[in-house]
Amino acid sequence: MASHEEITASLLAFQEGYNKNERLKIMNRDWDRVVLVQANDIPSQHTLELRNGELSVREGAPPRADLTVIADSETLADLFYGDITPTEPYMNGTLKIIGSEDDIVRLDFISLMIWGE
Amino acid sequence: MKRVVSVSLGSSRRDHRVEVELLGERFEISRRGTDGDFDRAIQLLKELDGKVDAIGLGGIDVYLYAGKTRYVVRDGRKLMDAVQKTPVVDGSGLKNTLERETVYYLREHTDLLPPGTRVLMVSAVDRFGMAEAFAELGCHLTFGDLIFAAGIPYPIHTVQELEELAARLLPEMSKLPFHMLYPTGKKQETQDEEKVKKFGHYYREAQVIAGDYHLVRRYMPQLDGQTIITNTTTADDVAFLKEKGAGCLVTTTPEFQGRSFGTNVMEAVLVALLQKPWEEITPRDYLDLLSRLDFKPRVVYLR
Repeated sequence: MASHEEITASLLAFQEGYNKNERLKIMNRDWDRVVLVQANDIPSQHTLELRNGELSVREGAPPRADLTVIADSETLADLFYGDITPTEPYMNGTLKIIGSEDDIVRLDFISLMIWGE
Repeated sequence: MKRVVSVSLGSSRRDHRVEVELLGERFEISRRGTDGDFDRAIQLLKELDGKVDAIGLGGIDVYLYAGKTRYVVRDGRKLMDAVQKTPVVDGSGLKNTLERETVYYLREHTDLLPPGTRVLMVSAVDRFGMAEAFAELGCHLTFGDLIFAAGIPYPIHTVQELEELAARLLPEMSKLPFHMLYPTGKKQETQDEEKVKKFGHYYREAQVIAGDYHLVRRYMPQLDGQTIITNTTTADDVAFLKEKGAGCLVTTTPEFQGRSFGTNVMEAVLVALLQKPWEEITPRDYLDLLSRLDFKPRVVYLR
């Protein structure tokens, strides 16, 4: 089990990876979205916000989310650190993403662009 | 008579059956759509296994190529694995030969592809041979893989960048359910109006639009005489393209009784003619056979 602080650290690593990638920022400049990241085994919520291609992270839930990402704390930390890709946990149900299919593909795409090889 | 059946995840409204003679052999060629129902496709494949001479898989890719790397689409592989006895193909082998040749043919025999032609390929990882041929002939290319599959307004302009992004994305994205990346079933009969509005300018800026027909159709705005290079078109599709203002239709596969079948069907026909295990068939085998069959792209002027 990961702690809330570990999830925060993983999201900050994700943010750093994203913001270093100029091409990714160009690719997402039309995609303004608010993403709630929620652990289902510990009390932990974070907000990812994409606006004009920039990504920001903060602790706590947003008033309204376009996408909700739910998994156990360990999966969330692994995912945002890039130790695992989202596809497998998404396909086996460990990771739930609530939102439109287009947005889910886009989120998958972003994580692969940051961490994928 | 040899029997070749294409089992497609696409709409059953496009089903078709013809009898033709090729190199002295009679063929019954048919297409059976399963309206996006994956389980029904598996069941049908199992029923046909061992009872027909070759099977084509339609409405889905099993293999995607970028450069020398081959990516396996998980859902496509599941369908292929349902067939144990009959040779089964997805058209990717033929795409790498026939569609490459189509581009060279158009340059040599028509005025549709002069140097510097602006070409939009709605998706290129499913037609890498064609993409390379366009690049080789000096066309200005826009690959719409990210635009149309993922809604990301990022045009890719070089084969090198396409390969780089494919290497990063496809190993994982190919594991997603296929319907998340490609229109299946009923989606093939409608247009995505939001994306037509948002991304239609890529079509209008091009002189030639190439690629999978369902993708070409789904995002097509009103055109102004552009050439469409694709396959699997029916008489209704030709009417649709005319209505949209396309200037010319080129199909890479030959027409049988008003219908150009998908590359998966044609590859299945070639496999049935070659009578060699699929793994042993080389691009040279396909090219020799295509030459003996005298297959040429079909060019239809729509204006």
